[in-house]
Amino acid sequence: MKTILVALIFVLFAKISFAQQSLLSFDEHNKYIYYQVAEAPGLPQDTLHVRGLSFLKTYYPKSKLKPSTEGKIISGENKFLVYGGISVLKHEKGEIAYEFNIEFKDQKYRFWLTNFVFTPYQRDRYGNFVAQQGIDIPLETALTKLDKKDVDGYLDETGAFCKQFGDRLKQFIISAPKKEETIKKVVTDKW
Amino acid sequence: MKKRFLLLIFTVSAFCLSSKAQDTIKTTGDAPLVISGSVDTYFKTDFSGHANIPTSFANENSSISIGMIDLALKKSVGKASFVGELSFGPRGQQQSIPNADPGSVNVVTPIGENTYAGSGVGYSSYHIQNLYVSYNITDQFNLTAGYMSTFIGYEVISPASNFNYSTSYLFTNGPFQNAGFKATYTFSPAVSLMAGIFNDYWNVYQSAGKVNTFGAQLTVTPVKNWTAYLNVVTGSSYGTEFDLTTAYQITTAFKLGLNAATFSATNGVTGGFSGVALYPQVAVSKAVTLGLRGEYFMTKSGTFFDAGPAPGESVTGITFTANIKAGPLTFIPEIRFDNSSKSDLFTDGGGAFTTSASQFLLAAVYAF
Repeated sequence: MKTILVALIFVLFAKISFAQQSLLSFDEHNKYIYYQVAEAPGLPQDTLHVRGLSFLKTYYPKSKLKPSTEGKIISGENKFLVYGGISVLKHEKGEIAYEFNIEFKDQKYRFWLTNFVFTPYQRDRYGNFVAQQGIDIPLETALTKLDKKDVDGYLDETGAFCKQFGDRLKQFIISAPKKEETIKKVVTDKW
Repeated sequence: MKKRFLLLIFTVSAFCLSSKAQDTIKTTGDAPLVISGSVDTYFKTDFSGHANIPTSFANENSSISIGMIDLALKKSVGKASFVGELSFGPRGQQQSIPNADPGSVNVVTPIGENTYAGSGVGYSSYHIQNLYVSYNITDQFNLTAGYMSTFIGYEVISPASNFNYSTSYLFTNGPFQNAGFKATYTFSPAVSLMAGIFNDYWNVYQSAGKVNTFGAQLTVTPVKNWTAYLNVVTGSSYGTEFDLTTAYQITTAFKLGLNAATFSATNGVTGGFSGVALYPQVAVSKAVTLGLRGEYFMTKSGTFFDAGPAPGESVTGITFTANIKAGPLTFIPEIRFDNSSKSDLFTDGGGAFTTSASQFLLAAVYAF
């Protein structure tokens, strides 16, 4: 019994540490991808598209959207920071740029994040961490340029970011839009 | 015993779940307080047997010596931020930081029945590399005020930010810090402009009575991965320096840097200096990068004396450097050959003037 309980403790630790990286898969081009399909019962394509745009504006306002004349897909790119260091010594280690796509049909949609590219940061003369120009490392080939420990960390953070993106998107899509409260005004010249 | 084990399981599960929640990427909210810095140490030997090359830092000969402990704090809340950077050690104190004493210290010494007033030597009680506050009026427009690392030049004080451990003559004779107020406007990702007013003299916390130095920096990115900075700092108290600093990451493995500057003194002093330095670097593996610095530096004719050749004379320097990285630790073996136009800058092993000097150093820099 004691042995089983101790083994369970170790399994729990291992499960958590591998959880985030395992969220990513490889697509047909051998690129890391976070891909999900979700149902949206009762919501037509147009509504889903509008909510998709509103979601990006709310949570990822710095996203650069690619122009699209079709109302069924939103594509764009953005980036997020990754941190390194221990405890109080944590600081920006770099940024990971990514491409996102959200495609809509009646009552369902799918989204995927891919093309993750890491750019390391270094401290400039003013004490700020800034991107090292010209050093763009696709995560698929990061092991050739970076230490394994760092790469594993970045993949974990990428997995966590993608999950957060997906969870927020799902929650936003199914939430009813907030009605604007109209403020009651008294018109004093008509009585 | 079984109850204790079950309690341990529940505790561990709760910890794991809470850790998972904290792993969630924060995309909203303020940035945390950032603590960063570096520690460095070195051994240098000049082949003449004594210190020879007069550029900054790495000046102690045949000694396992220390550079500095550098600690930087940064915090951003909304549009406002601050940076405070302290340094301790020879590199971070008397070799790069002004003596914070406002002047000589008066020492009154009673000797017998008489008292004698004299001047004592003050000591470096501040160790500030950067101390400034910053505010983003908009995403494109920023205001910053305080005591800041200079915007002039390719090399800096922090060893973690330089490729070579020894420094160039251009760095040694240019400004290290400027105290002032500056505004920066970003026109586009490829163009931005900074303009500011600074205290009358370089490298001092307090002005000598005037804020009369104008500085400006035009930043351009002509093509992807190539950035150029055109700089000017000019004031009637100290002089005018025009500076070009540029770096082009041509491939992931190969980078080329260039620094060119010319300085003219003022305020009754004539002459100045000018120079150019080239910095090619190639990453030969994940952990090893090789670099070269080739510099030509000239002191202009006049009454201005710098840390370098005499007025009207010049010096060239070739420095071979390797950066060997092991995580946050970088080992830096370096060999340097300097050659002056006149034999009054260096001395040989016998103490006689010579036109050449050479040194080998090995440094270790830990950046965090």
